[in-house]
Amino acid sequence: MLSVGGEAAVVVMWVLTAARARCEASPLPVRVSPQATHQERLQAAHHLLAHSPLIDGHNDLAWNVRKFLHNKLHFFNLSSDLTQEKPWMNSPFSHTDLPRLKQGQVAAQFWSVYVPCEAQYLNTVQLLLEQIDVVKRLISASPGDTTLVHSSAGIIEEFERGRVASLMGVEGGHGLASSMGVMRALYDLGVRYVTLTHKCHTPWAECSEPGSHPPNTRGLTPYGKEMIWEMNRVGMLVDLSHASSKTARDVLSTSRAPVIFSHSATRALCHIDRNLPDDILSSLALNGGLVMVSFYTDFISCSETATIQDVVGHINQVRTMAGVDHVGIGAGFDGIN
Amino acid sequence: MESCTVDLKALAWHNKSLVEGCPAVSHISRSHSSCSADTCRHDPSTVYTQLSYLDSPRSNSSNGFATRRKGGELSTRHWWLVGLVFLVAATAGVGVGVPLAFRGDPSQSLDTRLEFAKKILAEFPLIDGHNDLPWNIRSFIHNQLEKLKLNESLKTVEPWSVSNWSHTDIPRLLEGRVGGQFWVAYTPCAAQYQNAVQLTLEQIDLIKRVIKKYNQYLELVTNSQDIKTVFKKGKIASLIAIEGGHGISNSFGSLRMMYELGVRYLTLTHACNTPWATSSVIERQSPDAKKTENFGLTDFGKKVVQEMNRLGMMVDLSHVSTQTMRDTLATTQAPIIFSHSSSRALCDNPRNVPDEILHEVKKNRGIVMVSFYADHVSCTEPANVTHVARHISHIREVAGIDHVGIGADFDGINKTPDGLEDVSKYPFLLAELLRDPTWTVEDIRKLIGENIIRVFSEVERVRDDLLAKGVEPLEEEIHPEYLRGKTNCTYIFD
Repeated sequence: MLSVGGEAAVVVMWVLTAARARCEASPLPVRVSPQATHQERLQAAHHLLAHSPLIDGHNDLAWNVRKFLHNKLHFFNLSSDLTQEKPWMNSPFSHTDLPRLKQGQVAAQFWSVYVPCEAQYLNTVQLLLEQIDVVKRLISASPGDTTLVHSSAGIIEEFERGRVASLMGVEGGHGLASSMGVMRALYDLGVRYVTLTHKCHTPWAECSEPGSHPPNTRGLTPYGKEMIWEMNRVGMLVDLSHASSKTARDVLSTSRAPVIFSHSATRALCHIDRNLPDDILSSLALNGGLVMVSFYTDFISCSETATIQDVVGHINQVRTMAGVDHVGIGAGFDGIN
Repeated sequence: MESCTVDLKALAWHNKSLVEGCPAVSHISRSHSSCSADTCRHDPSTVYTQLSYLDSPRSNSSNGFATRRKGGELSTRHWWLVGLVFLVAATAGVGVGVPLAFRGDPSQSLDTRLEFAKKILAEFPLIDGHNDLPWNIRSFIHNQLEKLKLNESLKTVEPWSVSNWSHTDIPRLLEGRVGGQFWVAYTPCAAQYQNAVQLTLEQIDLIKRVIKKYNQYLELVTNSQDIKTVFKKGKIASLIAIEGGHGISNSFGSLRMMYELGVRYLTLTHACNTPWATSSVIERQSPDAKKTENFGLTDFGKKVVQEMNRLGMMVDLSHVSTQTMRDTLATTQAPIIFSHSSSRALCDNPRNVPDEILHEVKKNRGIVMVSFYADHVSCTEPANVTHVARHISHIREVAGIDHVGIGADFDGINKTPDGLEDVSKYPFLLAELLRDPTWTVEDIRKLIGENIIRVFSEVERVRDDLLAKGVEPLEEEIHPEYLRGKTNCTYIFD
């Protein structure tokens, strides 16, 4: 058995699907020795990433495009090195461009379609449409590098073609204006998850922040449960990042499908409401869902600095409490500073 | 904080008011003339055979249709021959096409003309430009489809049965031989600057759910070629339209996403101006408005038209002001439509299309799809099917046979002409046209569907051309001054 956390750079890779292995030379490493050099471990990592897609759960680039460029893409190119361009190079919130995605061997990315809580009860639906529009325009401007996909099969297909598979997740259930019709329309537009709350309660779900007004109920209201079932019915993933623990527990006992946390971390290692307590992690084993671990330092180390080892610690904690089938990666790049 | 959600309960009609007579037509739900006592007592079960023709079929004088056709007239004998051919073919189990050169004949009985009309409709699709059933579903049952049995007659089901605004169900669509329908995602003008986009999405979602629930009869179509494919399967090709530019809330991103959701035409205005286009309502307020240059499309409005051309979304000019019509026709690179408008020469109403514009529509290669709303079809006497036929013939006369179609506006009107009470009555309109020897089967084929399919496919070609030229999506935001301070429901970016 392996020890959890702590030990520097122990990278253990398990072969997931031998059947899908391509006809290339060397087989995937089953295990890398802790005595291996950093270079050897990195090599193994590159090799693994070339054979198994890395799917990140949450990236807020589209919101930066809104903030910095007002969605005007005329002079913007995702293929550019944004470390050399203003205002990106000067912003601690900017971490993403195509060159770096390729360098990172990102095979698939859920792009966050975000609308701020300040817009709740205003024109959120319009704003969501505009964000979906900008994500789609960004993708179609780089057809050789990325394609919008709508299914798990689509991810695999794009990976085999050597392109980044792009998907979309709506961040902020308040954006739905409590409307199932809107939710279904977003699904039709290709959105594949809805983060039930951002940092504000919706009329039907409580978030993890206290907020200026109390929620209508702790957790999910009866309407909230209907919304979950409708999301299950159409195939929209339920994302519980930002939701309160009570909401998460209510959803876990209501949902007929596995759920995700697109960018969250563990309360055991950093004790904040935004992070997940161990009981919720354990419930995931039954639900079949997934915690995609965030890289935000405030969530990882409860401070402004953190290390890779700290992130690995959270990944291992999820693996211990929920199982290795229930952990993933959702860095939250471009949404964190 | 003032609510940004329009109160739909105020717009819905409650059963009580329906039973008492006049539906509670509020100024914010419908822009048509207010309900009159006559309308409310109108018996929707009036059948065609009870009406009397305005002109005798055997009169030597003009029967009211424009006579412009030259060429030989087919005698009565040919109708018998055609009937015989069909009988023989049917016995032999062989399909026989309706001869396109065949002409109308006033000496034929209504039954004969009706049967012939039905044969035409079996072979060539009738595609109606505008039906507001989705709004009735919102108003009556709040989009809760479990309360709707559209595959059964709604003539005996409340509140449909007691509403003058209800004309549609599947049995009647089938009886009317409807081959294709643009279903309208309408949101009231009161929602402008509030939650119009949300309501529009909900209506689009509703239309899709209705199509899916009744997919034995209806099938969603989003391109011109699929209309005939679906028709040949024996289903009603169902398309989605948005009525009212306020539904996109001045946003190109929203417009593009509506196209992706399947919307294939946008009516630039309903009964209110948008910040970038004026509606015909201003002409009721000020008759001079139709002449003034200021009342039309702004530069932003012209960009909306351009972006619609780029997307391949048809521009619909029903409800817009005359100046908006002119500006659009001068701006657009693609054919336009009027999804439910009639002729202003025959009934002088700002909702109808003046001859000056009909000439432009011809040059534009667009189409005017004639509305059945009684008050737009006849400004003076009670309307009937002959009036509608006259509008169709007038538009054919001025714009040409390639530029006329049918857009009844069923379920969006509360006064229908005698003889065209609901969606089952389209064959009677054709039967009426078949009284006129200047109408051939080929003309009717164009009127009922071929023209709108052609317009749609040309709009798609313009889209493809613009794509090939690398024209980029528009990204402008509307200047805040055009919003006139109505921004308390809009999130403002720093």
